[in-house]
Amino acid sequence: MNKELEHSFVEQLEKNQNIVHKVCRLYTNNRDAHNDLFQEITIQLWRAFPKFRGDAKFSTWMYRVGLNTAITLYRKSKRSINTQDFDAVQFKIKADEYDDTEEEQLKLLYKAVHQLNDIEKALVFLYLEDKNYKEISETMGISEVNARVKMNRVKNKLRTILNP
Amino acid sequence: MDELELLKKDWKKEDTKRYPKLSYNQIYSMILKKSSSIVKWIFIISLLEFVFWLVFAIVMKANRNSESIADIESSTIFIILSVISYAVLAYFFYKFYMNYKTINSTDNASKLMENILKTRRTVKQYVGFNLAFIVISVVAMLPYVLNHDENTRSIIENATANGEVFKFYAGLILGVLIVLVIVVTILLLFYYLVYGILLKRLNRNYKELKKLEV
Repeated sequence: MNKELEHSFVEQLEKNQNIVHKVCRLYTNNRDAHNDLFQEITIQLWRAFPKFRGDAKFSTWMYRVGLNTAITLYRKSKRSINTQDFDAVQFKIKADEYDDTEEEQLKLLYKAVHQLNDIEKALVFLYLEDKNYKEISETMGISEVNARVKMNRVKNKLRTILNP
Repeated sequence: MDELELLKKDWKKEDTKRYPKLSYNQIYSMILKKSSSIVKWIFIISLLEFVFWLVFAIVMKANRNSESIADIESSTIFIILSVISYAVLAYFFYKFYMNYKTINSTDNASKLMENILKTRRTVKQYVGFNLAFIVISVVAMLPYVLNHDENTRSIIENATANGEVFKFYAGLILGVLIVLVIVVTILLLFYYLVYGILLKRLNRNYKELKKLEV
């Protein structure tokens, strides 16, 4: 039984691992920290897995546990203090894929996102993942109105950082 | 195109080179590792707090090398205080455990934070109770010790004979007060330091999340 559960969990996580990588990408800025957070989210997901019921999509359920771990449960490891620009190393945006201005703009955008606080990052993450306000309010545990107001503020904040 | 739309477009590219691709075995080895979440740390620290006060009580009991302390222990007031302290310990332990069990990573972010803060509040109350208990015990036991301990009695008698009884009591009260204040301050400082560091981020995020919420 336990083996079956393990197998089913690991298989689903392997398939959907990009969701966790995306959370890690927002909340960390070097490879060690990324791996560390990935590890912690995996543990939290595994612990919660027996309570996971098929009525929600595995991926939807991952958003919640992933964000909760990043915002609340995770204790930053000492290793994450020494930062190196992760986006530049790990997620190198290839120059030939974009024209120069777009690439430059994206670099600035990711940099701006990294300057946001934990909650703002969570909102941006849910926005980028195309979640509607109902889902956002349910994930964060705030009212829909509050989610809307906060989201608008974050978007404005990002625009201000980009166009000072 | 709006900058945020550009970001979203880029974000959604499921580029295989963009993220590390972990294998089945790599993920499997991760689920065997130990968590280092703040909940675990709160749990460990809280347990240590319970153990500390328990050991403290046991050591105090084991150290009854003089008859006067054994005498004190059979006094009604001491028995009452002991019963209260064990009952309260059991109550707090139960409450702490129940709080701990309600912490669930699949709750929404706000609920999860509230539950963690609740657990921490219980421990805070427990520590508060212990500090108050020390103060009350000392104050309650003091007259008893003064009346029953041979040495103290002779000192008081001497002081009375010299007409310095007021000075004696004033010095005693001041001394006890200073020691109590020092002990309580050190414990409080230690407590705030540990939890302050541990929960700094959580508190900040909770405030940020609850901003604007009615």
